[in-house]
Amino acid sequence: MDQRDKEAIREIVGADHFSDELIDLVSYSYDSSDHDHRPDCAAYPADSEQISRIMQLANERGFAVVPRGAGTSLAGSAVPINGGVVLDMVRMNRILDIRIPDRQVVVQPGVVYADLQKALAPLGFCFPPDPASGKVCTLGGNVATNAGGIRGAKYGVTRDYVLALEVVLPDGRIMHTGTKCMKSASGLDLTRMFVGSEGVLGVITEITLKVNPMPTASRTALASFETLRQAGQAVTDIMHSGILPSVLEIMEENTIRVLRENYGADLPDVAALLLVETDGYTDAEAEYGMQKVVAAFDANQAKTVSQAKDRAEAEKLWAIRRAAGSVAGGLRPNNLSEDVTVPISKVPDLLEGIQKLMEGHKYPFVIFGHAGDGNLHPKIMFDGSDPEQVKEVHQIAEQMFKLTCGLGGTLTGEHGIGLAKAPYMRLEHEEMAMEMMRLIKLTLDPNNVLNPGKMALDE
Amino acid sequence: MTSEKHPLLEKFTEQIQHCTRCGFCQAHCPVFGATGRPALNARGKMLLLKEVLAGKIELNQELVDSLFQCTTCASCATNCPSGVDVPNIIKAARQEMVGLGTCHPAFTGMNQVLDDYDNIYAEDEPEDFDRERGGKAEVVYFIGCVGQYREEDATEAALDLLDHLEVDYTLIDEVCCSGVLEDVGFSIKPALAEKNIERILATGAKTLVTGCPYCYRTFNGKEIYAPLREAGLEILHFSQFLARQNLGVSTDLKVTYHDPCDLGRHCGIYEEPRKTIKALALNFVEMPSNHANALCCGAGGGVRGAYAKNSLAMARKRLAEVEEVGADILLTECNSCVHNLANAKLRAQKFQVMTTAQFIMELLED
Repeated sequence: MDQRDKEAIREIVGADHFSDELIDLVSYSYDSSDHDHRPDCAAYPADSEQISRIMQLANERGFAVVPRGAGTSLAGSAVPINGGVVLDMVRMNRILDIRIPDRQVVVQPGVVYADLQKALAPLGFCFPPDPASGKVCTLGGNVATNAGGIRGAKYGVTRDYVLALEVVLPDGRIMHTGTKCMKSASGLDLTRMFVGSEGVLGVITEITLKVNPMPTASRTALASFETLRQAGQAVTDIMHSGILPSVLEIMEENTIRVLRENYGADLPDVAALLLVETDGYTDAEAEYGMQKVVAAFDANQAKTVSQAKDRAEAEKLWAIRRAAGSVAGGLRPNNLSEDVTVPISKVPDLLEGIQKLMEGHKYPFVIFGHAGDGNLHPKIMFDGSDPEQVKEVHQIAEQMFKLTCGLGGTLTGEHGIGLAKAPYMRLEHEEMAMEMMRLIKLTLDPNNVLNPGKMALDE
Repeated sequence: MTSEKHPLLEKFTEQIQHCTRCGFCQAHCPVFGATGRPALNARGKMLLLKEVLAGKIELNQELVDSLFQCTTCASCATNCPSGVDVPNIIKAARQEMVGLGTCHPAFTGMNQVLDDYDNIYAEDEPEDFDRERGGKAEVVYFIGCVGQYREEDATEAALDLLDHLEVDYTLIDEVCCSGVLEDVGFSIKPALAEKNIERILATGAKTLVTGCPYCYRTFNGKEIYAPLREAGLEILHFSQFLARQNLGVSTDLKVTYHDPCDLGRHCGIYEEPRKTIKALALNFVEMPSNHANALCCGAGGGVRGAYAKNSLAMARKRLAEVEEVGADILLTECNSCVHNLANAKLRAQKFQVMTTAQFIMELLED
């Protein structure tokens, strides 16, 4: 990318919405992963028309374009690894339409997740997939990474709510996918192809989402177990019990110890904790679900069961779970935080397998996660200034990915592939599937200008 | 990764590494809220410093617009999942930059002004408020530069209220506490501090009441002002002093309260101002962000002087919350906040912005 290209982009978006200042270039070099690379410039487009013109220019001139929301990716999906221009979508942040009778909202990609929830709450509605970064992440990023969250067990992930998209294709054409209907059996599902595509197939410029009435009642309980197997069996029993918990979180012994020792949490010395929430539109509905959950706890010899009497008590239990990641992260300067996912019944196998992997290593680690959808978050703490440690931790990660895939699992439940997991794609995907993915990328983006280097698509 | 080039900054190397770049501070940073520019957010600043420590970039003029554009409101640190002490890191970075001869001209100017003048505005004639200065009294009321030279009405009201309460107080020939210089890369001026200490102690007062939250922080926390504390002087912010008084007025108006960052997040003083206000306003309402999560007015850290447009944009965000809750009166306990919020208020916004003392005096006069 040369000065002429930068001038052309500046011309398209306007001087006030362009930057090649060092402070911005450094800022856009990173996301929340361990990867970084400096872009050549940043642009803040106002609409799909401007993005279209930038894409056309990128193809003519051969520079990379990297769309970016809040840059909270844990996988390097937003890192401009080949330089080029970063498209910060912050200006496209309007909620365009809320149509409760249709159960739909139409938003621009830069709308912050929490702002949509804030707009929906007075109407008694919500957008259920709730990533931990919800107060900052943008809906464009959520769609591009198929973001999940803590309530996936009952409410699924972003993919389950995307009805239609406006997308600027890599060659600059503007395409509309999907339907404004709640159901459609019409044609190939182009919408889903873009959900989770991490910005390699198109720049999402408008999103139509399905929304849900907000549950008005909930029950929360925390149970402790002497063995991982008992906790695992309790999860299985809950799944058999005929209800769907809205939250089903597991924390293993290291997490519990860290929370006790470094956070002062009053927790027993046990092998596992389960934090469960049931919800509904009446108290009776939430209570019915919780009775089933507590029965599963009892049947599996839970050592302790604390049921929250009110919201304040529930909040205390939640605070423990929410603190887990950051409290553990504080043990060392750096940490590797993964989101390996297996079929729900394999959660105890994965937990035990990771614990075994860590034996003989000096690194503190914790494992917690969403047992209700099989998505675990192992977190290994290390010192990133020591190259030996970095190397060793990445070797452990590779073994963890092999273990996960061996259990029929997936490399990533909700963070995405990006740069971090690109080297491991073949552990999960057969060669023909990889070839098909590359073919789709090549068809839409023959010059490989849009978010290149991600997902092992341009190897 | 240390380069041993930046001793002040290197003390924070581990802290800077602890920033996981999660970006959650974006939800709280008022500068990001006003600009949408991640380079100005706490994460953006930590990334710059990370690259400085790694020797990838220089701590030079190119970084000024990020590192000197922070209101030091501390909402990032309050909400940081990794516990990164951002305000103190930024303070160290600014000191390091000033040492290298790099600074925003507004702050260089402020430092120079305090070499030549007794106040940050380079004013020659302080308002005397028709009160005695340097007498003997139980209480010293320390006005602060903003109250002395910019928000005189607020000061007048505070003094009228002290008169009304028949408090035995005196003013002094005060000079700038110069605490803010430490935030913007310089040091407290010993000559100024000595004058204040000498004049305060000469009154024989038992209590020092400050009208300015920043002066309160400086007198209470800075080493150079230790003689005040060692003399057994009780140091209070005016809001703490008011909370002990029986005011005997009330209003039906809908009143809300803006937590000044220097009083709230920096000193943990949330309830005393509310105690006073709730006692007089039965119709008290909190704004959506309050206490430790309160939005900053945008004035702090020298941002009002150096980046006026963004400072006003931050104030407007705060004022939008006043509108959202439909308050008639916005009270606060910081002259600097009053100044910025009142300046930013649009004509269409019908509520009034004032200090608690001003409001009480209005009620007393009615």
